[in-house]
Formats: sequence, structure tokens, C-alpha cells
Amino acid sequence: MTAVELLATGMLVVGAAFYLAGTIGLLRFPDALSRLHALTKADNVGLLLVCAGLGLLSGNLREAALLLLIWLLALLAATISAHLIARRALADGVEVEMRERVPR
Amino acid sequence: MNLAVDLSIAAGLVVLAWRSLAGRDLFRGIVMYIVFGLLLAVTWARLGSPDLAMAEAAIGAGVTGALLMVAYWRLRRISPAEPADPSPRRSHLAAAVALLSTGVVAAIGLAAVGAIGPGGIAGRALVEALPATGLGNPITGVLVVFRNLDTVLEVAVLLAAYLAVRAVLGDRGETLAQPPPQVARLVGALVGVVAPLSVLVAVYLLRVGSYLPGGAFQAGAVLAACGVLLLLTGRLRATADAGPWVRGSLVVGTVVFGLFGVAMLAFGEPLLAIPGTWAVYLIETAMMVSIAVTLMLLFAGAAGLGGGRR
Repeated sequence: MTAVELLATGMLVVGAAFYLAGTIGLLRFPDALSRLHALTKADNVGLLLVCAGLGLLSGNLREAALLLLIWLLALLAATISAHLIARRALADGVEVEMRERVPR
Repeated sequence: MNLAVDLSIAAGLVVLAWRSLAGRDLFRGIVMYIVFGLLLAVTWARLGSPDLAMAEAAIGAGVTGALLMVAYWRLRRISPAEPADPSPRRSHLAAAVALLSTGVVAAIGLAAVGAIGPGGIAGRALVEALPATGLGNPITGVLVVFRNLDTVLEVAVLLAAYLAVRAVLGDRGETLAQPPPQVARLVGALVGVVAPLSVLVAVYLLRVGSYLPGGAFQAGAVLAACGVLLLLTGRLRATADAGPWVRGSLVVGTVVFGLFGVAMLAFGEPLLAIPGTWAVYLIETAMMVSIAVTLMLLFAGAAGLGGGRR
């Protein structure tokens, strides 16, 4: 296994770990906003690492550029849908829990 | 390793199918159905059928999911309270029907395993005849050249679906209730980027459809998804009457395909013969427009489309 393959495999594994953590957060966190917080980590960093790992493995500039474009488009869609879901949750009156983290 | 992945996909499909049908929560059932469609697309991709994978993801999960969601939204407007028990009473025939269906599917599966492989009769004839069509993608070859009567009828079925919606709405000048448009500022940015890109992707899929995975159905579904986005953000508006552009777009696929097919009779060719690759492109473009507009109108539950808020 070459150094590039090792790096790419590492990226894929760490990316998958982000997806796993995001999924657990989505299932276990109590309210809509913290679930979104967990989900966006998987969407942003997890997908970036997976795309970067696959781009390295492809060894092909065109495919790597296409994977980057896919990541950017997914990022755009994820950002705006998360924004819309958060707005809706706020409008529906979700309880925003800040009591422990925010000093008064 | 590969077997483990395939087995978990197969098990996931069964679980998702069960969850989408058996749950009491209608909304959850719809979400499960959409995830089922996505996993089915992955299945097609693993079976080496990227054409079917794309069509399943775009039409099966995407557009059908949007149709089910908007139908759910309209149901809740008609009767806001969640129905007490949407699942029908258990029938005595259920076990027998399930056993029979399992038997039929198993028999078909066994027959398929024992059948002549892809290099067999029809497949070999297709691969031998494909270069003569000037197309490199056997799926497009089958859809537009070898089995094109099926394809004409598929486009005609979409037209019939629109006519059914029209018949339900009647001539009273109605459209079904529309979800309120999303007006967040970021949504404008999304539409500004995604709408032109969707058109680009649709044209690309149509163009490469003759020699790579892609084609009129995938391209039409991408355009329809873009139209759903425009409807949801208020850029397009459902109208009670169809203008000449909408009417023309609805029938152009069936009409162009049909006219080509009949016109070839005058040249002594068989019915639905295709004169060349240029005709394939023309027919596929017309089909893409019809598929996109019909799916958008089905989502809107309206006879026509009009310009909306900028």
C-alpha cells in the first residue's frame, strides 16, 4: 500500500466515523436544533473526507474536480435545508437549551 | 466483504419496505419509502445498471417522494387531525397472498438464474445490432430503437395521468391547494445556483444518453425536480388553465415520437422505424420536455403553470 493509498484510506475511515457520529447524534439528541448540529458535521466534514479520499484514490484530476463539485453542491443544499428546518423549528417554538453553556 | 455489503443492502430493502407499509404514521411511511427508493438506486448501481440507478433515484425516490409529500400536506389540510387508525383491518387472506407472492417471486428468481445469460438470444442480437444504430448505450438503443413502442406508450401514460388530474379538477377553474412559498433570503441563492445547474445537468444527461448512462427519462426528472423547487419557492405558480406553451409541452413527446413512427411508413419502412441518430436526439428532447412538464403539473395538482414572484 503506497502512502497515497494509506492517506486516502485514512480519510475514508475518518469520514465514515463522522457519518456514524452524525447519525447517532441525529437519533439520540433531544431537540431539532441539536440534531441539525449533529447532522451538519456528517454532511460537511464527513462528505469532504469521503470525497477527498475517493479523489486521491482515483488518481485522476477530472474525477477529483467532479467530486469536489459534488461536495460543494451537497454543502449548498445541506446548508439551506438545515436553515429552513431550523427556522421552522423556531417558528414552531422549539425549546433552545442554553442554560449550561452560556454564561450570564 | 462484497457479499456482506450486498446482504445488508438486501436486508435493508426488506426492512424499509416493511416499515413504509406497516407503520401507523403516514409521514414516517413516506420518509421510509423515499429511503427505500434511494437504497434501491444503490442496488441498481451495484448490479451494474447506472441508467436504472439514476432513474430510480430521480423518479422513484425524488419526484415520487415529492408527490407523496405534497399529497400528505393536502390530506392534512382536508382533515387536520391524524386519522385514528389508517391501517386497514387484517385480512384472513393476507398470509395466503404473502405465501403466493413469495412463491411467484422465488420461481421467477430461480428461472432467471437458470436462464440463458446476458450473452443469450435477445442480448446477443442487441449487441450485434447496436453499432448499426449509431448509439453506444444499449439502454437508449432498446428504449428508442428496438422496443420503442413501449417507450411511446410510457410517455402516453404520463399524458393520461395529467388528463386524470384534469378530470378530477374539472372545469371549475380550480387547482389543488399549494404549499406556502418559502421566502427565506437564502432560498433565493439556492434557486439562483441550482436552477441553471439543473438545466445544464439535464441537457448533459440527454446528450450523453446515446453512448453513456443517461437519457430522456433521467433528464426529464432532473428538470421536473428543478420545477418543483421553483413551485415551492413561488417562482412558478399553479394556474387553473393551461396556456399554449404548457399544452404543447405536454403532448410534444408523444406527438413527435408518433409522427416519426408513422411518417416512416410512407418511405416503406416499418412502423416506428427511426431514420437516424439525429431523430433519436430530436425524439429524446421532445420526451424530456413532456416528462418534465407533466411531472411538474402532477406535483402542482394544476392544469397549467404561470410565472410567479421574482
